[in-house]
Amino acid sequence: MIQINELTKIYKLTAKKMQELKTKENTKIAVNNISLVAKPGEIYGLLGTNGAGKTTTLRCVATLLKPTKGQISVCGYDTVKDGQKVRDSIAFLTNEIKLDPNFSADYMFKFFGRLHGMSEEQIVARREELFNVFGINDFKNKKIEELSTGMKQKAAIAVSLVHDPEVVIFDEPTSGLDIVTARNVTDYLKFLRDQGKTVIVSTHIMSEAEKLSDRIGVIINGNKVAEGTLSEIISQNEAEDLEDAFFRLYSKHNPEGK
Amino acid sequence: MNGTVIILKKELKRVFGDKKLVFSLFILPAIIMVALYGIMGFMMGKMSDDIEEHRNSVYVVNATEGFKNIISATGYDKNNDVIYLSEEEYRAAAKLDDDLAKKEDAIKTEEDFLNYQVKNNMVQLVVYFEKDFSKKYDSYTKSGDQIPSINLYYNPTENYSTNTYGVFTASIMNTYQSSLLKNRLEKEKIDMESLNVFNVVETTVAKEAKEKGKFISMMLPYMMVIMLFAGAMSVGVDAIAGEKERGTLASMLLSPVNRGQIVGGKIISLMILSGLSAIVYVVSMMVAMPVMKALGGESADMAQGLGNLELSLVQGLQLVAIMLTLVFLFVALIAFLAVRAKDVKTASTYISPVYIVVMVAGMLTMFMSGDKVPTYRYAIPVYGSAVAVKDLCVNELTAVNFLASLSGALILAVIFTVLITKSFNDERVMFNA
Ligand SMILES: Nc1ncnc2c1ncn2[C@@H]1O[C@H](COP(=O)(O)OP(=O)(O)OP(=O)(O)O)[C@@H](O)[C@H]1O
Ligand SMILES: [Mg+2]
Repeated sequence: MIQINELTKIYKLTAKKMQELKTKENTKIAVNNISLVAKPGEIYGLLGTNGAGKTTTLRCVATLLKPTKGQISVCGYDTVKDGQKVRDSIAFLTNEIKLDPNFSADYMFKFFGRLHGMSEEQIVARREELFNVFGINDFKNKKIEELSTGMKQKAAIAVSLVHDPEVVIFDEPTSGLDIVTARNVTDYLKFLRDQGKTVIVSTHIMSEAEKLSDRIGVIINGNKVAEGTLSEIISQNEAEDLEDAFFRLYSKHNPEGK
Repeated sequence: MNGTVIILKKELKRVFGDKKLVFSLFILPAIIMVALYGIMGFMMGKMSDDIEEHRNSVYVVNATEGFKNIISATGYDKNNDVIYLSEEEYRAAAKLDDDLAKKEDAIKTEEDFLNYQVKNNMVQLVVYFEKDFSKKYDSYTKSGDQIPSINLYYNPTENYSTNTYGVFTASIMNTYQSSLLKNRLEKEKIDMESLNVFNVVETTVAKEAKEKGKFISMMLPYMMVIMLFAGAMSVGVDAIAGEKERGTLASMLLSPVNRGQIVGGKIISLMILSGLSAIVYVVSMMVAMPVMKALGGESADMAQGLGNLELSLVQGLQLVAIMLTLVFLFVALIAFLAVRAKDVKTASTYISPVYIVVMVAGMLTMFMSGDKVPTYRYAIPVYGSAVAVKDLCVNELTAVNFLASLSGALILAVIFTVLITKSFNDERVMFNA
């Protein structure tokens, strides 16, 4: 269970960043007063364009960033006060955070298992399962730096799940993956949901959001502008499909076309 | 397993599991050090052999028979060209060389000619006996009478010339002077022996350890400081700033382990690695010095000084304790700067000025006079440790000063460790947020 309650995240911009973004303001509102709930046994899809605020939201959930305003609780633990407990209950996958390339997937798996306080037997059992699902056994002893992008992503996914967490937070998990591997990942996410886990996934790919999510939250410029099942969002916007609905929402909430 | 231990193991595996890294961190520096000192010794040896074996030319103008005898008695003229010239020959040589006189405006007098010859390495030394040398010597009867002189011309900027001059002043001229003195005294019926009114017997009063440790007490603190720092730098920058740049540090922040334990694992592993690299430096230096001496012979004598460190067990432990606190301090300092930097390059620019400050702190002890250093100064991090090691070498480190030097470095190291942990908890530092 993830409960996000009126989350606002404002970045302070350095002089250099202000120049890059060509802005005179020294802050950037990345997430603006977002509330949402992701429940056990469902996949919540966070849909938004580049820069919408998806990664920022998920990083706040994963305790890496502190909310400027609002609270987040994961499995009943507050992300600020009980960070360690939250981290023990989640799997967090994001592009910017990587496994140490000097080690093998096998070692990284064991390493994080140990950090989660698992026994060696537990780790081995878990490894059998996950390495089979993602076909990692063929390259489990190779250094991560020698792996292809897809292999790295598979390893990262397996490692993030080592401790069999209740909550799975995946930020664009299929980026860089071929369709076979991508299907592999989304199928496993469905499997996790069916096991009763809470899954939240961000994406900017309409078809993925459509097929994968039980409920979708649409974020535009840091604001949550729509939420519901696929059919709810389509009918709310009198659209033909999700893409159509998204463009309608986008022109409504982003009039200047920024 | 505790988070610190797990991370510590991983960090050590990262280095020792990588043959290339082991080679570049530990083996290459050792090879370079031994090779460098070997080459240095070889060059020094070659240079001094060359100087000794070089066939020098010496002009002796107006030489007396006695002087000639002494030259041949020493055998100096066997390996060198000693050319005897009479006053006339020498003047003729100076005049004959008209071309030379024209070319070199400066050559006006005969003396200019001598200077010119020496300056241009045509001869290494000119020994010029005053024209009436023997006459003046013979006619001396009482004090106030004129005494004759011998002029030596040599070039102090030239190794061969300086060496030849050295040989002449140190032995040949002395021998000649004593022989003339003896003749004169015999004429006066005075026994040469009676001129020795007393003997001077010298006894050095310094403690033995101090005398022996003097050279090493000058070098060791400085070398220890820079080597420990270099060791910490070679492993610390990549382990922190490199991991941050590659996005792998953040993956550890996602683990349910207390950030303090993560920092602990990092710091301890870096201490082990940089301590090891410091040991490699020290051992390879101990190997390199004899190599240098073997290749360089007597001229590479500074190697001897390093073998002179004799420490008792307690002193050895004290040295280890001081080095450990220094390693801790350097690792914490470098890790702190590295964690504040956004990438490896920035980290290096932060660290370079600090390296210079540390080097100067070590260097200050090299030229310290014998004055007593007040205890509070031992508490100055780095500098205090260097002074303490210096004292240790000459057996003068007091317990109070030892503890002051330990606490100074330790307190600062702990402060940096706390700051690192704070930084690990700071999203602005870890995620540029
Ligand atoms: N560290 C930061 N400092 C300042 N601004 C930031 C920082 N990180 C993100 N931003 C800004 O916050 C906004 C939201 O970024 P975020 O990464 O959350 O978007 P996103 O939805 O994940 O985009 P994408 O699909 O491209 O991954 C963007 O405008 C971005 O420029
Ligand atoms: Mg993103």
